Amino acid sequence: MSSMDITFPAFDLRFMAPEIFLFLWALFVFAYDVTSKRKSSTAAGYLAMLGLMIAGAILAYTNYGQGYGSMFLFEPAAKFFKIIFLGSAFMAIGSSFGITKERIINHRGEFFGLILLSTVGMMFLSSSNELLSLYIGLELTTIPLFVLASFFKDNKLSVEAGIKYFIVGAFSSALLVYGMSFLYGLSGTTDLVQMKINIAMTHLTFKEIGVILVLANVLIIAGLGFKLSLPPFHQWAPDVYEGSPTPIAAFLSVGSKAAGLIAFAKIFVNGLYAFNGPEMAPNDWGILVGILACAAMILGNTVAIRQTNIKRMLAYSSIAQVGYIMIGMVTMNDLGIASVGFYIFAYMFANMGAFAIVAIFEERTGSCEIQSYAGLSHTSPVLATTFAVFLLSLAGIPPLAGFFAKFFVFASAIKMAQADATAGWLYWIVGVGLLTAVFSLYYYANIIKVMFFSKEASPYRVHYTFPSFGIVLIGIAGVIIFGLYPEPILKFASDISLSFGFLP
Amino acid sequence: MTESADIGIVFWVLSFVILVSAFMVVSLKNIFHCALFLIMCLFSVAGIFVLLDAEFLAAAQVLIYVGAVAILMIFAIMLTSNLASRKIRQVNENVSVGVFVSVLFALASIILIAQTHIWHYKTDFTPVENSIVILGKYLMIQYVLPFEVVSILLLASLIGAIVLARKERS
Amino acid sequence: MSEYVAVLMFILAGAGIVLVTFFMARMLRPHNPYPQKDINYECAELPVGSSWIQFNNRFYIFALIFVIFDVEVIFLFPWAVAFGQLGLFALVEMVVFILILLFGLFYAWKKGVLKWV
Repeated sequence: MSSMDITFPAFDLRFMAPEIFLFLWALFVFAYDVTSKRKSSTAAGYLAMLGLMIAGAILAYTNYGQGYGSMFLFEPAAKFFKIIFLGSAFMAIGSSFGITKERIINHRGEFFGLILLSTVGMMFLSSSNELLSLYIGLELTTIPLFVLASFFKDNKLSVEAGIKYFIVGAFSSALLVYGMSFLYGLSGTTDLVQMKINIAMTHLTFKEIGVILVLANVLIIAGLGFKLSLPPFHQWAPDVYEGSPTPIAAFLSVGSKAAGLIAFAKIFVNGLYAFNGPEMAPNDWGILVGILACAAMILGNTVAIRQTNIKRMLAYSSIAQVGYIMIGMVTMNDLGIASVGFYIFAYMFANMGAFAIVAIFEERTGSCEIQSYAGLSHTSPVLATTFAVFLLSLAGIPPLAGFFAKFFVFASAIKMAQADATAGWLYWIVGVGLLTAVFSLYYYANIIKVMFFSKEASPYRVHYTFPSFGIVLIGIAGVIIFGLYPEPILKFASDISLSFGFLP
Repeated sequence: MTESADIGIVFWVLSFVILVSAFMVVSLKNIFHCALFLIMCLFSVAGIFVLLDAEFLAAAQVLIYVGAVAILMIFAIMLTSNLASRKIRQVNENVSVGVFVSVLFALASIILIAQTHIWHYKTDFTPVENSIVILGKYLMIQYVLPFEVVSILLLASLIGAIVLARKERS
Repeated sequence: MSEYVAVLMFILAGAGIVLVTFFMARMLRPHNPYPQKDINYECAELPVGSSWIQFNNRFYIFALIFVIFDVEVIFLFPWAVAFGQLGLFALVEMVVFILILLFGLFYAWKKGVLKWV
């Protein structure tokens, strides 16, 4: 470790223009809110949405390249996930106007600004190919979310959600860093690609390091498993989703989950890919994650059936959806990674849309119980119909986007199992996935039944307010258009595999 | 060698203090006394860092954990109405599960680390002189991007802390 | 390493002086407690209520802001030590770092957190 070899990596600030812009814009939102005379204005929210749109436009015109060595690499995978982060933040802010109006008196600007800062963290994370910047990006993602989850300070459930999320998040970060320290100790580098080479070289002479690699893998899977709410690290999710403001629950279930997914893909598919397979027997993380994915699908889909609160039901549904996504992750070929990208893209529209409707309904009625939705189709047919479309997409009914998402995930796993004799266990996972997908139809359809086939008309008549209605429309458009015409997104998603060294 | 023997004694004394005070933190009934023992524990950990030639970590440990975080904890205890002098329960119904998981994890990691004989691979290790200078160079040159993101992280925590800790006025 | 022996000696000597003083006082003084002598301020005001009172909430926000800037100081430390061997760019990097945090101070000030009302 001589001091001679410390040099600046190749850097170019242009490649991180979207992040820098969004960060400065977040400061602008805070400054505007704190200096403006009008209290509880909605302007800060519209400003935040405008900032996300401009950041998206800058993102579209940014070329691929090295922003700062391997700590900031702008590449197809990063671009794809950044679109998801910006999109989910946009939809979360758009659906939060009504619900924050009554309940947040003094800190509305901070609500929107913290969402932007969390998005900046996700974007840094998705560009990083290096342990240190990956970890700091993940922290910048979650720390604003702790605050956002407990934003309704007078509400006991919300405060409980914040504390619970904070303790779980801090604990999982500790596990993650502990695991990363083992990886650094084994390889002497924090760069993920260099790490792969160094560990493989050491492993040739010192077979025993495989044992400690297992420990590192388990710790990192546990740490990221908390962020992804992958069983057995999922218990926090229903409580936190139920207590936190509904748009934040939506943002947690899409944005934060996508951030965990890209971090997982960076560490495991990029950094530890070589350590999977029979010749590296003790490090078969693929099978371990596959078992966790099965647990997620079984547990999420069965427990969701018994829920009476719509937010808890959607929480268990999101646990199950992560199970399906992880099938694509453990497939570990170009199709697998592409299907992960497409799945999270389709999931964003359906889930953000569903949560937007829950937020609209909660704002009007103050209730999140499934029973309150009874007979809604008589009084608010548009709301009931759009909600039904989102739920059907989550269940995976053709021709909606959710169907193709599940289809591509299963297809990639089957193709891998056919091509590689040692990957036969993927058949089992696909079997579990297909079976639980049928189960999931029961609870999604149950809500549709409650809304449409109830004898009495609902006592509530829900009117749309402007930004939330726009979000619902975006969700519907995404679910239907990318269901009927998935090719462009699928082609874009297949570019992700380039970032992970797979040739499509 | 006499010097390494001295270091050995210091190490065992510090470890003993750490373990005893850490046990006090979780077992005492008065939460205020727990906080004081936590300070002692954190301070002894700084001593261990010095033994390992990690001066920067020792300084950070004293400055942040002993100087700021522990004080913050004591403040939090004093702010809570009537908690400081009250006796609190130390265990709940999950204690057996917790003990089981921790013992399992500790055993698994100790066995796994011991099996690798990882300390045999590099015997010619000598600690670097002036590690803080090298650390500063790494921070300012190679890792300057994460370093700047850390300041965004601190800003986000500052704003978040103010939002949460402020009394709400309607 | 050896320079820390002095630190250790200093700690031990400091603790030792306190302990020896207490021990000597215990040996020399007469042992005769009575209620008036046991109160906190033996020769002045009578204490009102318990000393375990609830502190003002505002202390807490100050402490939180202090922790954030304390973490900033720990980053300044290696920067300052290595500054002689680094160029102007290190200054620029640290100015950016501090400016971002100064925004936090500006925010806290504008929000009225620093006022003691």
